[in-house]
Amino acid sequence: MKLTRRMTLAAFAGMLALGTAAPAYAADLIAIITPSHDNPFFKAEAVGAEAKAKELGYETLVLVHDDDASKQSQLIDTAIGRGAKAIILDNAGADATVAAVQKAKDAGVPSFLIDREINATGVAVAQIVSNNYQGAQLGAQEFVKLMGEKGNYVELVGKESDTNAGIRSKGYHDVIDEYPDLKMVAQQSANWSQTEAYSKMESILQANPDIKGVISGNDTMAMGAWAALEAAGRKDVIVVGFDGSNDVRDSIKAGGIKATVLQPAYAQAQMAVEQADAFIKNKKSPAEEKQLMDCVLINGDNAAKLETFALTN
Amino acid sequence: MSNKLNWPTLAGMVGLSLTACKILPTPSGENGGNAPAFNPDKMVEEIWAAKVIPYLQQKAGPFAEVHALAKTDPAAAGAKYGNPKKQANSPWTFAVRLEGKIVAANTQSRAATVDVDADGDGKADARVQIGPAMRGTALRDSLDFIQFNDFTNQIDFAQFGKALNAHADKTVLSKLPREALEGRTAKILGAYTPGSGQDLPLVTPAEAEIGPKP
Repeated sequence: MKLTRRMTLAAFAGMLALGTAAPAYAADLIAIITPSHDNPFFKAEAVGAEAKAKELGYETLVLVHDDDASKQSQLIDTAIGRGAKAIILDNAGADATVAAVQKAKDAGVPSFLIDREINATGVAVAQIVSNNYQGAQLGAQEFVKLMGEKGNYVELVGKESDTNAGIRSKGYHDVIDEYPDLKMVAQQSANWSQTEAYSKMESILQANPDIKGVISGNDTMAMGAWAALEAAGRKDVIVVGFDGSNDVRDSIKAGGIKATVLQPAYAQAQMAVEQADAFIKNKKSPAEEKQLMDCVLINGDNAAKLETFALTN
Repeated sequence: MSNKLNWPTLAGMVGLSLTACKILPTPSGENGGNAPAFNPDKMVEEIWAAKVIPYLQQKAGPFAEVHALAKTDPAAAGAKYGNPKKQANSPWTFAVRLEGKIVAANTQSRAATVDVDADGDGKADARVQIGPAMRGTALRDSLDFIQFNDFTNQIDFAQFGKALNAHADKTVLSKLPREALEGRTAKILGAYTPGSGQDLPLVTPAEAEIGPKP
């Protein structure tokens, strides 16, 4: 086993050596790996990273792992094989990803993580993540205010393997649970999925017609829940999401969903590429591996300023 | 419990029967297998009087000065009253002293607040949280000896921030009067993070006094 690994490493090293021997006019490559672009949030990350990489003179390899850790592992092999100088990664699982990022590191390819943390430090060069907990507290505070500090509510939770699902839920409850008159009547995972949120919301609503609010772990689930509520003639229900997507922005402007929390996905991806660039050119690591970016509450007051996961002034 | 008691016996037996073998360290002994569980409340209790209060006392500026400088030159305000080791992308959080007259109070909400007029113009300059529900992590973010990278993850970091608020509530804020607050004086040592909205700056106290009814 060890021997095979050594040989693989030697092969990689050989390929890297070939890479450096390649003609000077070939631009360096940065691999950008995210979950599926079906969710506009991940698309914004990929677009932001790609734009910055091109601006800095890199070629890009944009790949999606669909939240499948074994597919992610293959994509990292691809990035190593293609001689990428850095990997920008929104990962497919806090535990499962550690080995994949370590593999890249062993092959001399540094990883710059965005959006989601992994359960290890010293493996990736940077982990730039949204302050999900701070964002969840902002969303929960707005939710509590909209609910008038009382009433029955439902929580839609994200995909369990994603640390952010747990962090947001915890942030929500740290705020909401301080109000004894707010009662959670159902808590279900809809796996970040709009269609799943729609069907879950339909059945929750049948069992609990007396709900006053829904707090959702992300915007796609909030959109699904809102569609189900609208179809059931329950536009009175208060819905709060998380991410700051254009879909939810439009819903807020139209008087549907009440609020969401913006994660600066575009800026975050660009920052990761800038740090990768500094590392590639000057071997300079960021001062801290784990870096938090604050989230911003979006409601009727500022929804109009939101565009593709960034606030304009 | 009975299992635990049996282990030494078992280990002894194994040791005796395998005396000729080389003893290898057990993996669990290597990287702090019995490291104490994360206990933010206990952490806060240990540092509150010894470090948190002295730090704020030494760092805090008068609210009017801090707020004026924060508006015109946030970096200068940060250098003087902020936490220089804050996360690069986070806004500044400032340590402040606030003294003035309470001009409004909201004790209906569990996130109760009083609005304080610091410059004597009759208008509120800052909103002070008086609990029991408290928002944000201003106390945590004002402390230069607390770093995100010293915590395992966002959840632990957040729990620590919440524990600071809870400690302020338990030891200080829960003892404040709740009735007929308008017109009384307030004296606060705490921290705040300037917001972008039109809302009043929200100060989280570490120490607070409310004067008698006028």
